[in-house]
Amino acid sequence: MTDITLTTTSAPKTGPFAILLAASRHPLLSHAKVRLALLILIPILVLTILAPVLPIQKPLETNLRAMMQFPSIEHVFGTDKMGRDIFSRTLAGVQISLLVGFSVASIALTFGMVLGTLAGFYGGWLDRAIMTVVDIFLAFPSLLLAIGLVSVMGTGIVPVIFAISLADVPRFIRLQRSQVLSLRSRAFIDAARTVDASQYWLMTRHIVPNTIAPMLVAASIAAANAILVEASLSFLGLGIMPPQPSLGNIVRDGQTYLEQAWWISTLPGVVILLIAIGLHFLSDGVRELLDPRSH
Amino acid sequence: MAEYTAKKLVQMLITVLGVITLVFFTLRLIPGDAASAMAGDTLSGEALQALREQMGLDEPLVNQYLGFLRDLVTVDLGETITTRIPIAELLLRALPITLSIALATIVLSILISIPLGTLAAFMAHKGRNWLDNGLTGAAMIIDLMPSFWMALVLLLIFSLGLGWFPASGQLNWSDPWALVLRLALPVIVLSLSQVATLARITRTAVLEVLNEDYVRTARSMGWSELRVLFRHALKNAALPIATVVGLSFGNLLGGTVIVEFIFTIPGVGNLLISGINSRDYQLVQTLIVFYALLFVVINFATDLIYKTLDPRVQF
Repeated sequence: MTDITLTTTSAPKTGPFAILLAASRHPLLSHAKVRLALLILIPILVLTILAPVLPIQKPLETNLRAMMQFPSIEHVFGTDKMGRDIFSRTLAGVQISLLVGFSVASIALTFGMVLGTLAGFYGGWLDRAIMTVVDIFLAFPSLLLAIGLVSVMGTGIVPVIFAISLADVPRFIRLQRSQVLSLRSRAFIDAARTVDASQYWLMTRHIVPNTIAPMLVAASIAAANAILVEASLSFLGLGIMPPQPSLGNIVRDGQTYLEQAWWISTLPGVVILLIAIGLHFLSDGVRELLDPRSH
Repeated sequence: MAEYTAKKLVQMLITVLGVITLVFFTLRLIPGDAASAMAGDTLSGEALQALREQMGLDEPLVNQYLGFLRDLVTVDLGETITTRIPIAELLLRALPITLSIALATIVLSILISIPLGTLAAFMAHKGRNWLDNGLTGAAMIIDLMPSFWMALVLLLIFSLGLGWFPASGQLNWSDPWALVLRLALPVIVLSLSQVATLARITRTAVLEVLNEDYVRTARSMGWSELRVLFRHALKNAALPIATVVGLSFGNLLGGTVIVEFIFTIPGVGNLLISGINSRDYQLVQTLIVFYALLFVVINFATDLIYKTLDPRVQF
């Protein structure tokens, strides 16, 4: 399907600088959309990682002498009713968002690849069984499925990840299955069969490698989507519960004070939007690089 | 057509049965059981046992399952556990509100996106791409925006800032204008994301048709642009538009939960949230099944419309 791989060409010199230099020349990084994505995502990532050592108030620390303060140098995103620093809380929320996005994408990718490949490759009763279950899951609007699942499993990060993944896995199974189905009848598979390639060999060496690129693109979209769904669940009071900050519940907390302190709800929302835009450009860029037709 | 309808109908019924079964068994996965989860620490011993009996949890699983099916088939939805109000009554009160919002959203977004998408396609066809590019960019941003955040920002600007729309208050069905104002912002929030998708689909579909030979033929015969548009372009664009309206209905249902929560509108979404918060599993399971049924039926209708618009579609 495509010959472009994600591994960098081996750098002649070793050492961190040479590797960085070689990496910066990689086609992935010279693509405009990918660069824009990294320009948005890397600062957010760095700030999130550095949050514990930055000279800002701790996310849970209250300060009754600085309640509902307008954004300033000391409190970049302002403070809330209890004098908590919104910027610091937002960074803590981003940590949760990224964890949820990454976990959901990995889970959906893993289960989608395995079950989708099996269903598409073997067909027959296995395919029918898997696809029947997939169709049942797809009968629920995804946000409502997630709401229903957290209502049973309770709130907190693990149920949230599980609920969003369960809504995404069927979509990945369907995508992988349709890819496998179209590959299965291609000439190179027939060629491999004529030289007595085993089923396992066919699947792992010929079929799965050719399905990875679109699945990775789908995974980065799923990550962005999972971040939005987690935020929505937490906003509705069904996801991550306070005092543990998440982007959704910070916005929820601020809703009551929208008139007096608009920054509590609006600024963390801007960060959600930025992350979503970053992931969108990343997936778009990777897709364009991997798909020669869209050049 | 009859055979197609029958096949789709059977497929739909299998899915419906699957949905009901899935909801039923998921609720039985609650650690302990639904009764003890509901009661929390408030009930114990005999009181808990009484609640179990009231919920039918003391019966064998198979009987519970068959009872659940029977209740759904006979539309005996039972009562809420906590307040003992018939669920059917609550649903009948909330449903018109949610459906009005959903319907108004669909109508408004079609009214905006079809002219907008068509215009973008025509201009792109003539080599002027600014509307097209602007539309693509705006659609992307709207798509990626969390809808609850967009709702709050609009609320902040148009209700709290400019005072154009009321932010809360009773729904007054006898005063249509007040009702329109009250529901305007929620409908606009939901419409924005619908328009983002629909306008792009319209634009692509119309642009595709404009490049067809038969459109060139029509033009060479001296047809006016409007006649080309209505006879060819929009007719062929109707198919993808109908499909996308149908498919995006699920997202729309999810969206209604969020806007009802933000704008305190007593629709099905708020009913669901309150059911979850009071751990009323009877109410929650009924509503989740109801949402799924609504979605499945809409998908079924979309399939039929699709088949009617394009008879070539095979099962």
